[in-house]
Amino acid sequence: MKYLSNIFILFLALNLSSCEEVIDLDLEKSEPRLVIDASLIWFMNTSGDYQQIKLSQTTGFYEEEAEPVTDARVIIKTDTGEEFIFEYENQGFYVNSEFNPKFEENYTLEISYQDEIYSSSSSFVPVAGIDHIEQNNEGGFTAEDLEVEAFFTDPAGEDNYYLFRFSNFSTSRVSLEIYEDEFTDGNQVSASYSNNELAVGDEIFITMEGISKSFYNYLFILRSQGGDNGGGPFQSQPATVKGNIINETNPENYPFGYFRLSEVDSTTYIVQ
Amino acid sequence: MKFFLPYLLLLFFLFTSLDLTAQEIYTLKGTITNASSNETLIGVNIIIPEENKGVVTNEYGFYSIKLSKGTYTVEISYLGFQSLRKTITITEDTSFNTALTEGSENLDEVVIKSNNEGLNIKSAEMSVNKLSINTIQKLPVVFGEVDIIKSLLLLPGVSNAGEGASGFNVRGGAVDQNLILLDKATIFNSSHLFGFFSVFNPDAVKDLKLYKGGIPAKYGGRVSSVLDIYQRDGNSKEFKAQGGIGVISSRLLAEGPIVKDKGSFLIGGRSSYAHLFLKLADNPNSAYFYDLNTKLTYTINEENKLLFSGYFGRDVFDINQNFINTYGNSVLNLRWNHVVSDDIFTNLSLIYSDYYYGLTLDFVGFNWDSGIKNLNIKYDFNHYLSDNFQLEYGIHNTYYEFNPGEIAPIDEDSGINYFKLTNKHALENATYFSVEHNISNKLTAEYGLRFSNFFRLGQDSFNEYANNEPINYNSVLDIYEEAEPINQRSISRSEVIKTYSNLEPRLALAYSFSENQSVKASYNRMAQYLHLISNTSSPTPLDVWAPSGPFIKPQILDQYALGYFRNFKQGKYSLETEVFYKDIQNRIDYVNGANLIANNNIETIILNGKSRAYGLEVLAKKNKGRLTGWLAYTLSRSEQQTPGRTPAESGINNGKWYATNFDKTHDISLIGNYDYNRKWDFSANFAFQTGLPVTFPTGQYNFNGINVPVYGDRNSNRLAAYHRLDISATYIPKPDKKDGLKSSWNFGIYNVYNRKNAYSISFRENEDTGRNEAAKLSLFGIIPSVSYNFKF
Repeated sequence: MKYLSNIFILFLALNLSSCEEVIDLDLEKSEPRLVIDASLIWFMNTSGDYQQIKLSQTTGFYEEEAEPVTDARVIIKTDTGEEFIFEYENQGFYVNSEFNPKFEENYTLEISYQDEIYSSSSSFVPVAGIDHIEQNNEGGFTAEDLEVEAFFTDPAGEDNYYLFRFSNFSTSRVSLEIYEDEFTDGNQVSASYSNNELAVGDEIFITMEGISKSFYNYLFILRSQGGDNGGGPFQSQPATVKGNIINETNPENYPFGYFRLSEVDSTTYIVQ
Repeated sequence: MKFFLPYLLLLFFLFTSLDLTAQEIYTLKGTITNASSNETLIGVNIIIPEENKGVVTNEYGFYSIKLSKGTYTVEISYLGFQSLRKTITITEDTSFNTALTEGSENLDEVVIKSNNEGLNIKSAEMSVNKLSINTIQKLPVVFGEVDIIKSLLLLPGVSNAGEGASGFNVRGGAVDQNLILLDKATIFNSSHLFGFFSVFNPDAVKDLKLYKGGIPAKYGGRVSSVLDIYQRDGNSKEFKAQGGIGVISSRLLAEGPIVKDKGSFLIGGRSSYAHLFLKLADNPNSAYFYDLNTKLTYTINEENKLLFSGYFGRDVFDINQNFINTYGNSVLNLRWNHVVSDDIFTNLSLIYSDYYYGLTLDFVGFNWDSGIKNLNIKYDFNHYLSDNFQLEYGIHNTYYEFNPGEIAPIDEDSGINYFKLTNKHALENATYFSVEHNISNKLTAEYGLRFSNFFRLGQDSFNEYANNEPINYNSVLDIYEEAEPINQRSISRSEVIKTYSNLEPRLALAYSFSENQSVKASYNRMAQYLHLISNTSSPTPLDVWAPSGPFIKPQILDQYALGYFRNFKQGKYSLETEVFYKDIQNRIDYVNGANLIANNNIETIILNGKSRAYGLEVLAKKNKGRLTGWLAYTLSRSEQQTPGRTPAESGINNGKWYATNFDKTHDISLIGNYDYNRKWDFSANFAFQTGLPVTFPTGQYNFNGINVPVYGDRNSNRLAAYHRLDISATYIPKPDKKDGLKSSWNFGIYNVYNRKNAYSISFRENEDTGRNEAAKLSLFGIIPSVSYNFKF
């Protein structure tokens, strides 16, 4: 659908009389909800003992600063009886530096906030890892931009889902890409990053995270809801996207966000 | 028993017919044509004043009327043509074919121009929009491109989802619920370039009719409307050509005799040259469309005629050979008109129609082909039993092959594996009869019954699910998830996996209080077995048509309409008002976040819902004089509801009714055309519409670096009201010229006062300030245009 939006916008560009302007539009403000960003990241070949969870509240659409949540209690428990308490640090971040990541372990997140208990459980998703990086100048929709490709080999015979994050330190821009292997099972394929601002000398930090099918679906909807689809007839239907965390005390007051655990491979690349 | 009902009724009518022929009554029949081209004329009025009776020519120019022995005056009249009066003595069954001369020599007598668009008070037909090609060609349009569908939008009850949206919506129905017939063949996508233009070349069109309600039993398969378009046959007298040069596209059409007075050909082509501009800008991209209309007609003898028509159209978007997208319709149709007896006219159609969608993504290394093909046989009978009783009956059979897509690697380096989505097959049959019945001088009725069946045939990799539920509700996350099939099997194509049958009654009544006013009422039930569901604001060519089957039920419509119709001052003015209510069962919708691209199991991402629409339509017209025009007003509501399957499920939008994407509360069009003199003609139209429903964010949060808006109820906000004024002028340099090149110029200004109508409002983060902002996109500001048209 993204491609369709692109050609549509290209077509509009032909029409010289179309114009875009920023307008003042009053929006209603919904009641604030708790937002839980509980992404536990375990870098390959590291101990993975430092983990953080971010809590905030939804804000009005035009408001600039997120509203951090400072007075929650955050604990992760395992089925084997371990308990990790996440202490409040700052700006809504809760951290634990003695975390013990294991595959085949079930982790349960428990948050208590304003006398309500929020919970969810999940386990680590492994990742195949990045094989190598290539670069070309045929990227972008017009095939004229610089492009960085991260190659990886998809494990055959199983459903795999990936989240790629390309962080450009030079422009402080971050790009997220999600991949599934429905049509590429078992092949060596690449995730690519390009935009028209990419320049020689840019330092790019690339991460490849293993994610579950349901988190893939969650991100898929989330990304389609993000502001970047330009409106028009190919705009997705807006929808409320609930994550995998439930409010046990009062289900109506559901939180936003997700609890997920990923194994991650990373590399740094300098554009040549 | 149900199955045989229509046949039994048919037998009943045939016996009635035998009874009538026992009296000393003869038949007057014939074909009415255009004197300059021999082209048959549709909807010509043939009136016998002595008997106070009349008949109208059918789609092939044929008429038949019963008269007892005697001498009669026959009055023949038709829009834009000089009326004809002739005395005929009937002593036996008589054939009377005649040709009408175009009345354009007498331009001052504007009367002729629009009297066909005046009202037929007596006929039970209601909820029908007609526009003559003549009228359409004079309306001001964007870029000066004459467009049939854009013109229909100026009539009550017809709207679309904004300036750049595909297709059109009739009485709150969705785009895929319109049956669009071009020479009886189904067209699956009526738009070029995302809906900026329609696929119909106006030069090749002879006649069109849009049924919004009271739809006769001869039509079926879609629940919202029928747009019935007939292509011209071609001139069998002499070679002629016409064309036009416009801002966006150029057209050329040639026609002429193959065998003089017997056989003719017509070939018309149209192509946009937007790609030229793109190329000029030193850019290897192109976006363009083209279409080709062809027709061959051969009259074997008075009883037999063959018509062959074809249409081929494509849209092509090519971005640097990196992204290539092609789509379009192709249609082939062979028809045989046969007059069985003086009062039975038949038409047999063999139709092949194909909708293709292809996509090549070079950067992903991927080719995608998809489409829908169908083979269609229609056998239709017009049976003129008596003056008060005309019968139509017939059989329609359609075989469908759905190719939802085939994904292939573009070359050896591509990381894509070959993947074929399962082809689906189905058979749709219908038997119908339809009666036009003059019950008394004041009361006329049109009633009929259509019996339709749909057979979903076997396919490869047919999935079975636990409890027959292809979609699961996850109550924890409050989302719907695809169910995993418990079994997959291949079923032979000769096996039927699901059958649906529907009886579709149709009824329309007209009661005329006087010569000038009547009330009409209609009811129709219709079934639709194919579904096109879009998860975007308006359908895209990418959306896949899905057949009904074990998991998708056919859509069933019930529509009620009531109207008051009046002519004033001998038809100089007319007024049509109607109210309607319609209700559609089994309207499916995608669940939130459904991924429909290359999805082999559409049933796993949809929920069953319903829709309803109701409204008031007013059309006041001035039909005669130098100044003609109309005021159209629609007040309506169109809604959809997709509840959960059990009370515990949330459905879509928590099971609450929500406005459809094309719901417009008020829709007003005011159109005026002024014949200044024989050289100059001026037109203007003004449109005002309630803004389209949209969903605004009510909050935001950040997750993993993604800024996520929080939304309220679906479609609970509105864009600002839409309005604009267009004007145009047509100039004919030499109106008296009889032979050789005849030309005209059309000058237009679209959106005269440059209203920045909101096409969409998008919400985004400002790249410099990082603050969220709302951005309004408006599409067409003021657009002047000029086009040149010629004929020789």
